[in-house]
Order: sequence, then structure tokens, then C-alpha cells
Amino acid sequence: MRRAFLIMAAICISSVLSIQAQDLTVDEIINTYLENTGGIDNWKSLQGIRMEAKVNQGGMEIPIEIVSLKSGKQYSKINFQGNDIYQGVFDGEVLWSTNFQTMSAEKADAEGTANMKLDANDFPDSFIDYKEKGYTAELLGEENIEGTDAYKVKLVKEPKTIDGKEVEDVTYYYFDKEYMVLVAQDTEVKSGPMAGKIQRITQGEYEEIDGFYFPKAMTQGIKDGPSQPIQFTTIEINPEVDETTFAFPVATASSEE
Amino acid sequence: MKKLLLILICCASTAMLAQQDDIILKGKELFGDMRARHIGPALMSGRIIDVENHPTDNRIIYIGSAGGGVWKSSNGGASFQPIFDDHVQSIGKVKVDPHDPDKTLWVGTGEIWTRNSVSVGDGLYKSTDGGVNWNKVGFENSERIASIEIDPTDRNNMYVGVLGALWSDSEERGVYASTDGGNSWEKVLYVDQNTGCTDLIIDPENPNILYASMWEFRRTAWSFSSGGDKSGLYKSVDGGKNWEKIHNGFPEGKLGRIALAVAPSDPSILYAVLETEEKDKRGMYKSTDAGASWELTNGDFGLVVRPFYFSRIVVDPKNPDVVVKAGLFGSISRDGGNTFKNLGYMHADIHDISFDLNNSDRMYVATDGGMYRSWDGGTTMEIVENLPLSQFYHISVDNETPYNVYGGLQDNGSWYGPSSSPEGINARDWNSVGVGDGFRVLPHPTKKILYSEMQGADRVWRYDMERLQSREVQPLPKKGDEKYRFNWNPPMATSEHQPDRFYMGSQFLHKSEDMGESWEIISPDLTTDDPAKQNQSESGGLSTDNSGAENHCTIFTIAESPVDENIIWVGTDDGNVQVTQDGGKSWTNTVANIEGLPANTWCYHIEASVHDKRIAYAVFDGHTSGDTKPYVYKTTDFGQTWTALATDDIYGFSRCIQEDYENKDLLFLGTEFGLYISINGGKNWSQFTNNMPPVAVHYLTLQKETNDLVMGTHGRGVIILDDISPLRQLNQEVLAKNVHFFDVAPGILREASPFGGTTSEREFVGESKSSNAQVVYYLKKKHLFGKVSMEVMDENGDLLTELPAGKAKGINVVKWNGMTKQPKMAKGKTLAFGGFTPLRAEAGTYKVVFKKGKETYETTVTLENDPKSLITESERIANYETSRKLFTMSEALAYMVYEMDGIIEKAEAVAKDGGGKAADPLIGKLNALKETLVITTGDNYVDSAEPQLREKLGQLYAKVAQSFTAPSSSEMENLALLEERFNKAKVDFAEIKDKYWPKLEKFMNKKEIETLSLQSFDEFIGS
Repeated sequence: MRRAFLIMAAICISSVLSIQAQDLTVDEIINTYLENTGGIDNWKSLQGIRMEAKVNQGGMEIPIEIVSLKSGKQYSKINFQGNDIYQGVFDGEVLWSTNFQTMSAEKADAEGTANMKLDANDFPDSFIDYKEKGYTAELLGEENIEGTDAYKVKLVKEPKTIDGKEVEDVTYYYFDKEYMVLVAQDTEVKSGPMAGKIQRITQGEYEEIDGFYFPKAMTQGIKDGPSQPIQFTTIEINPEVDETTFAFPVATASSEE
Repeated sequence: MKKLLLILICCASTAMLAQQDDIILKGKELFGDMRARHIGPALMSGRIIDVENHPTDNRIIYIGSAGGGVWKSSNGGASFQPIFDDHVQSIGKVKVDPHDPDKTLWVGTGEIWTRNSVSVGDGLYKSTDGGVNWNKVGFENSERIASIEIDPTDRNNMYVGVLGALWSDSEERGVYASTDGGNSWEKVLYVDQNTGCTDLIIDPENPNILYASMWEFRRTAWSFSSGGDKSGLYKSVDGGKNWEKIHNGFPEGKLGRIALAVAPSDPSILYAVLETEEKDKRGMYKSTDAGASWELTNGDFGLVVRPFYFSRIVVDPKNPDVVVKAGLFGSISRDGGNTFKNLGYMHADIHDISFDLNNSDRMYVATDGGMYRSWDGGTTMEIVENLPLSQFYHISVDNETPYNVYGGLQDNGSWYGPSSSPEGINARDWNSVGVGDGFRVLPHPTKKILYSEMQGADRVWRYDMERLQSREVQPLPKKGDEKYRFNWNPPMATSEHQPDRFYMGSQFLHKSEDMGESWEIISPDLTTDDPAKQNQSESGGLSTDNSGAENHCTIFTIAESPVDENIIWVGTDDGNVQVTQDGGKSWTNTVANIEGLPANTWCYHIEASVHDKRIAYAVFDGHTSGDTKPYVYKTTDFGQTWTALATDDIYGFSRCIQEDYENKDLLFLGTEFGLYISINGGKNWSQFTNNMPPVAVHYLTLQKETNDLVMGTHGRGVIILDDISPLRQLNQEVLAKNVHFFDVAPGILREASPFGGTTSEREFVGESKSSNAQVVYYLKKKHLFGKVSMEVMDENGDLLTELPAGKAKGINVVKWNGMTKQPKMAKGKTLAFGGFTPLRAEAGTYKVVFKKGKETYETTVTLENDPKSLITESERIANYETSRKLFTMSEALAYMVYEMDGIIEKAEAVAKDGGGKAADPLIGKLNALKETLVITTGDNYVDSAEPQLREKLGQLYAKVAQSFTAPSSSEMENLALLEERFNKAKVDFAEIKDKYWPKLEKFMNKKEIETLSLQSFDEFIGS
């Protein structure tokens, strides 16, 4: 409780500082964001996160479990009618998902896997040590997001390869000016039917969990278009995870045991 | 702690101060997540100005449109996405920086094909991230930017060719140079205030060589002039410092617009198309010595037609002899410009062409009717189908469900189509109801008839939408009449009092009481009848262009009062505002009573109020005299006095206004740069930008049944802001509340079929209106910390579903499709897809509990049955009861299988612990039974096993629950069969348990094995 109070106080104070600041730098924004949401050192010491969420798609509720570890390993697990269906599972080398038709595991293509490897050092937040990782961040200005003013920061990471072509990996982050927490992020969709559109993710309902502030509600969709809400029911810090879950289940998935 | 206290005191003081003044919210702070939707159409697309290829990646193509912004293709032109929606939508030039082609783009705004309806730009923009973000970098008063060139050896050296203002003198014209990458500019070639730069080209091999064509031109509302002594073709060999005319071989006399191209593969070869005084000297001129001398090679019609509209030459990047000229049909030469043939069949009026980097057979062509691709060197053309760039001049709606939208398009005829359609509004949903340029299309107030027209009322059709028959009904002069002067965009109006009444305006007001069969003139000439503005036969300058587009001193807007049919307002293009209060017997010109309005400013729209017959609004557009200020006025005394409503909030000139039918302080203003809304009678205006680009809104109207604001835009088709009724309810009291729920229309449980969608991303599909129930509420402050929830409950307080609550400051819109939850299905090897169907709530009013932190608020939401439904109440009840029964059966089966799995698992554990004798029979029996209840083998596709009880129950449940009517006898018989099977399974399960479980339990007790622990039914369902 004491810790929560301190964090709230820090948020309030930093908001006053931000109002007074005439020329806030991008690093001041990033650092304040990381401090306000838990502290840079605490974020760096984090080993893993397990999140349980539900996605309500027009009355169809989909439960999802998302695990990501400092090592870059991660998975999302959907449970349909008692069947676990894995999506975006990465063990550091292999990226795989469950095929919905066969319910068997299938590897992602080489491009997708290589791109996932590039993101493996981004746990728990791309902004941590971003310079050391070779990323660049730039304050582009201010923009109004859902009725409140926010700083717009452009983060450029290592280039990715999409459909055989190297492209810049850019995300635009929006930090609430008052509390300096992340409220939205935009990325240009680079492939598929939505290529060229801007994907927008929004964050809200921040709650303190073991000293960290996490958004408990997110939406994902196309900017100026419909979006899909995700509500996180539990967030667990440094969870115990069965490491074998990440491994590609060779030759077992299609058996009829 | 002291510091925190100070902060809190500070915040409280600020809040107290704010309470003393009105709360003025603007933009996204006010409109929250109210969002416009686009319905196109795109099947005829709209005018495209410029095509720009990426210099090294032929997947990337950019286009600039006349009024719909900039679009990018990442798939070689298969489809495009808009990338300039926060900025002015009229485009002159798109340029990719060859030094940084993936990131740096430039856009010069303001269309350069200077037709009468052309819009305006507001400067030069730059993106450094491939078009995601843009910054304006100058040239605010340029109005039209024609060319952007970048030194191929040094990106700091840039040049911009500014065509400049069309309707007025301007010194912001000519050629500008920058040596610092566009941060600062110097004017390096300037002729005079009437002469701008049309083409500016840098030699691809020698960046010191530049060519610039300069054009003397001017448009007024009533004439156009192309050409003069000042037009000319210039060359610089020192990077723009000095310029010389290069006319050796050109004819003497005045010149008009000069199109210019340099062959990329041989820069000594130049092509120019000249507009000259002597007709037989017009045509294509070729230079093979970098402009030192010129020779006329061809003067075909296709090359010289309408230079102001078609002035682009493009040379194949690989072959200097392949040259294409924009024109009515487009012309291509493969012998160095000596002979030409037309490009393949496509929409007429070709404005730009580009060749693929690697394959010159692959071409892209920009037309008045969209973008075309060719795979065979321009012989066969196919249209890009996802560009909703249609340019409406006007819009109207009817009262059907869903209502239809009617309107006419620049060079693309007249159309009507539905505002909503199953699976979205497809190209096939639109109906063609007129040819030529289309303008106003009005539905008859009570019959399935519409009126449409083409330019200058040359033809006016009365079209029977049921019989698909048309008849021409335009007013024609009779003996003794003066020649009628109709505007290019001729006004028409219907009456709310007399359904068969039909008005048209020339210089006179024409009235028909029999749907256009017969006409009478009910006014004198209501215009200024200025003869100096009626010389259209001389319009065009060097090339006569008497198309009717410059017809002037005409009536432009007609409004019969919805309160009193004897009150008719008329606005004219030469600035008169006339009103009659006796059905046309006498008229009063009230424009002199408007203070601050420049004389003869075009009256674009008059809106007669529904609230009071004395009230009217008038909107004036002065841009055709170079005046881009907004002019919006209101009278409450038949025009004796007028109050100005335009404020500094409004950017650019305005065209049309709509007063709300219920709250007269709620006003919607269509401007050249988008939609503005006032909730306080025009004291303040706020631009609406949620999925609403700053596109020219030429007309807007409110659909009365739905409260939808329907906008006819000139570049992005029809854009609709659904149900504006929350805006009606906004006032200071509401804005001061932390949370306020708005009254909104109930949701409709639509019974439309799910069929309809056949499109891919290559085709534009308009967004249909959601029929979902909505919870619409205002939040004074964005909620960022702590839980927010929204629960829908039935009359017993039982939770039906949770909705994703909006947390934005301003208006939040949360939708509910009436679905509650899907049944929990038994676990099997595969998925029972029927189980993904949620149970639908019945029509009725439900409680909504909104929790925000520690605060709880309540409202209601209502669902209604489809008003078009033929289903009886008893049939509905049968449907819901059967759906519920199957839902319950599915969940009961799920629990039974859960129990069985638990027992099997326990028995298997016991078996491993030496209890095989007791466990094995039980395991065997249960597995045998389970195999009849759920699929235990195969996959979800073609390796699927025979469906069992779970799958059959799920399938029947989905079948019934997805429909609305009573289950068929076949379905009921099938249900009886499944019920019998389920009941038998229950008996079998009980018997197996009775027979085998005690033995196992005894063994477990003996061995002190932990007993079986199962969740209760409720725990299982909730888990």
C-alpha cells in the first residue's frame, strides 16, 4: 500500500514537472514513463509475466493466457471447449502455432521467426535500454488521444523483413501528458489485406500489481476503424512456467492419444 | 507530502475557476469516439491527378487525387490505402525523394487541372516515414503546386513549381529553389501575378539543367482564360539562377499551357505540347538537342484537346520514342511522337500515366474515373476497385429502411444506393440513374420516383425506380421566353407540402405541380443579369472552351419552407438572396441586409428552418473571386436582418449548412476542409475529424428517421455520421457532469440473412450502419487508472454479458449486439463449432451498470425486434425456448463429460496404483459411453470423425439460435431424438457409476487414496 501511494505521488509530481517543462526531451518522457509505472531497475529485474485475459467477440468470449519471459520466450494459449490452442509460441529459436484445422503445431515461416528473434530482447518494454539495443526514439509532438493530450514518440527498432523486403520497424507511442503512461501505440500494417492501414492499440485501466502499473484493458484495431477489446483478469509477476511449453511439440500433436 | 497537498489545492482552484465559465470542448474532446463511416461508392471512383512511382521498388505506387488526398499501394497497384487524411485533400503533386525513397515523401497540394469545380491546396507537405506522418513546410498561399524536383546528386537541392492561385492575382507563383533540403526557399523564376509554373523538370543526368513551362491563366465564376504573352518555356543551365526562353521552332504569338517532358533515357530529347494562337500550329513539338530547337511532329485532337485539363506528357523510362500524352482518351506514340493512337478503353479524361520501373508493358493511368492498370502497354485497361474518390456535387436521402442516398458525380453520372447493406455496401448495390456529369438527384417524397440531371440541365430525368423507366422533364422555353440560363450544377427542389411539386432554377424559378410534365415560371429574373458575366461563348482563352461550366447569373439554391409552402428562398451564383412569402407572386432581394458580405458572393446554399418560417440560413462561397473566408448567416425575420455565424474556428470557405430538426442550436457546416459542428447556435464551431478527413463537403443533410448526418463529399464519396442525437442533448449542465447517459434509439435485432460478402481487399466495401444497441455517455474526464466495467443485466439482476466500456473524455459509444454468452461445451478431441453461437437476448429493456472506480452509474439499453419481421410472437417464444433448451442440454452434457473425465482420470490413477481390477471395467465402460457423447478422434477438417451427441446438439442449437422463427417440425423431431439419446446416456452413466464406482471407492478407501473431487455444476460453468 505504501508503495502504491509512493507511485501515485510520483505520478502526480511528474505531471506537475511535465506541465512546467518547456522543452521536454524524449528521454525525459521515456524515463518518467518507466519510473511512473514501476521504476527502471524494477522493470529490468522482472523475469516474466503471465496474463490471463478474455476477448469478447460479439458474445463469444475467448479466454487467453499470455506468458512472456525475459529470455524472449513467449506463448499465447486459447482454450476452446477444453482444447488448448497455442499461438505465437517462441522458444528462442522456433516460432510456432496450433493449426486450427488439424489442432497440430506448425512452424511459422522463416521471415516471421527471424522477426520474432529481433524482438526477443524487448521484454518487458522496448524502451528499456533502447539506445543500447540500437533503437532510436524521437519526440514528434503532441496529439489528442481519446480526448486527452499525449506526447507522440517514434521508436525505430532493427529493420524487419516482410514479404522478402527489408522494412523499417517503427512504432508510434502516445504518452498521456498528465500521468506519462502509455495510452496508445500505432504501427503501419506491412503485409496482408490490411497492408498500409495503421494498427492502433490503446491501453487503459492501469492498476498496480506488485509495484508495477499495468494496463488491465486494451483495444486492438485499425485507427479510425473498429477495434477488439481485451480485458486482463489476472497479471502475475515472475510466474513459474513449464519451460517445455515453449518447445515445438514434435510428432505428438497429431497423434490420437 | 506538503508538495502533494499543494498540487491538490492547485488542481481544486483550477476546477473552481473553470466552473465560472462555459465549458467549451472541441474536436476529439467533445466528440469522443463518435465516428463517421464511409460508404463510397468506388465503382466509378473519381478524378486522380498524379501518379508517382517509387524509384527502386515497383511494389510501391503513390497517387494524388483531385479531392480525396494521397493514396499508397504496397502491392504493385492491386489496392491502395489513404495516407494523407489529416490534411487538405486536393493534391497537385506527389514526389518520392530518390535519395531516401522508403521514407521521404513530398506532397504539393492543390489540384493543377484547373476545371471549374477544382478545389484548393494550402501548401507543401513532407513525410519522413513513408507517409505515416506529415508536416506542412510552407507555401501556405500557393493554392496549387504543380511540380517538385530533387537534384539526383544532392538531396539538398530542391525545386518547386508553383502554379498558384486560379481565381486571383498572386505573387506566390513560379519556380522556387532550396539548397537546404526544403527548409528555406528562394523564388528563382517569376513572371507576374497571373503566370504560374505548370511543369518543372530537372535533367536526370545534369542537375544544373532545369526546364520550366510558365502559364498565364485565370478563372472567374463566369469565364476562363488560358494563355497570353507571358506563357513560355524556359531553361536554366546553372541550377535555376538564370533562365532563358527556349522557343526556337515555336510559332509566334501568344502561348497557352505548355506540357513538357524530358526522355529519362536520353535527356537531349524533349517533348512539348503547345497551346497556340494559330490552331494549325498546336500540337506536339520535339527537340533532340535539349531544347535548342523544336519541330512540330503531330497536331492530333488527342494531343491538343483542353490544355487546361490535360497537360501531361510521359516518356517510357527505357525508350525515348515511346511517348504518352494525357487527353480525352490518352494518346500513345511508339515512333518518337510522329503518330499516335488512343490508349485502351477506360474512363475518359486521362490526367497522368506512369510506367513500371522494370517492365514498360505495365502502366498506370489516372483518369476522371479512377486509376487503371495495364499489363500490355496501354492496350487493355483494368480499374483499381478500392478507390472511393467519388466527387459528389449534392446529396439527398429518402425514408426507406435502410434509407437510400442519392447524388450526382463529377463526370460520373448520377447514382443512388443503400446506406446499409448486408456484409457492407458493395459496388453492385449502386444504381446508375443519369449520365454525363451528375449533380442533384432528388427522390420524390412519396413515390418510387427520382429526379436526376446532367450539366446545365441539358437533360433532366424523372426516373421510375420500380419500372426502371425514365422520361426527360426539363423546363423548355416557350414562345416569348428568354433563353434559360442554367448553372452547370442546376438547382432542383421538391416540396414537403405537395409531393408532386418539383422546382428548378434557371435565372427564373420554375415550378411544376405534376412531376415535370408541365412548368410555370413563378419569378422574374432573380439574378443580377449582368451581361458582362454572360459571354461564355468567348470563354477559354486561346482554346475556346464553351462547355457550359462557366454559365453564370443563375439560380443555385432553392429552399421551400417546410413550415409554409408559400415561402420560398432562392440564392444565386452572383450573390442574390431572394425570398417570396406568397408562393412567387412577389420577391424581395435581401442580400443588401447582410453586413460584411462582399457583393456578388456566390450563394451556395440556403436552408429554410423547420422550427420557424421566418428563420433561414444562408452560406456563401467567395473562392471563385479568391476570397476563401467562410460566410454563414442566419435570419429570423425573413431576411430583414442577418446574423453572422462564422467564427475563427472555421478554416477555409464554407458551402452548406444543416440545422438540426429538434435542437435549433445544433448546426452542421460543410466546408472545403471538412465538417464543422456547433452545439450553441454558431457561437463556437468544432471540426469533426473522427474518420472524417478534411474533404470538401458539397452538401449535407439529416435523415429524419435515423438522425444520421449524410455528407456528399467532393472526393471521398458519401460519408455518414450515424445518429447525431447525443449532440442534441449536450448543454452546459451535461458538460459539467462527471458521467451523463444520452437517450439513444434502441438496438434492432436484424433478421437479415448473413449472405452477401464476396469481396477481397482489392474492392472497396462501404461500412453499413450498426443496428446494435448502444450505450452512449459523456465522460468529463478520461478514466486512466482503475477498473471500469459495464454489465448488462436482466430484470432479475442476473448478468447477461459484459461490454467493453469506453473511457475517453467526451462522448463514448459502447455497442451491444444483443448477444449474451455461448454455451460451455463438452470437451472433445475436436471443436463443436455450433457451440460458438451465443444465446441472443430477447427484445426488451435491460439494466446497464457502469462502474468507474468506486462510482457506480446505471442506465438502460433497449433491444427491439426487426420491424420488417414477419415472425409472430409465439414463433419467437418457441425459438427462444428451444434455443435455451438446447443451450441447457449442451451445458448439461458438458458437465456430464467433465464428470466422466474426472472419474476416468481418477480410475486410471487408481489402476496404476494397483487397482486395475476395480478400475479397468469402469474405465472401459465410461470410455465406450463417452465415445457416443463427444468426438474423441480426428481433426477439425476433412479428417473429422463421425459427429456424436455434443456435435449434433451444438449443430441443432446453432441452427435454431441463429434464426428467429420457431423451429421447424424437422428440427423439433431431431431435438426429440437427441433428447432421447441424451436421456439414455444419463441413465447409462448412472448405471455405470452405480455398478462400478462403489468397488473403486472401496479400493480407494482401503488404500487411503484421496477421493474424487469435482466442481459443482455452477463452478464448472463459471470456470
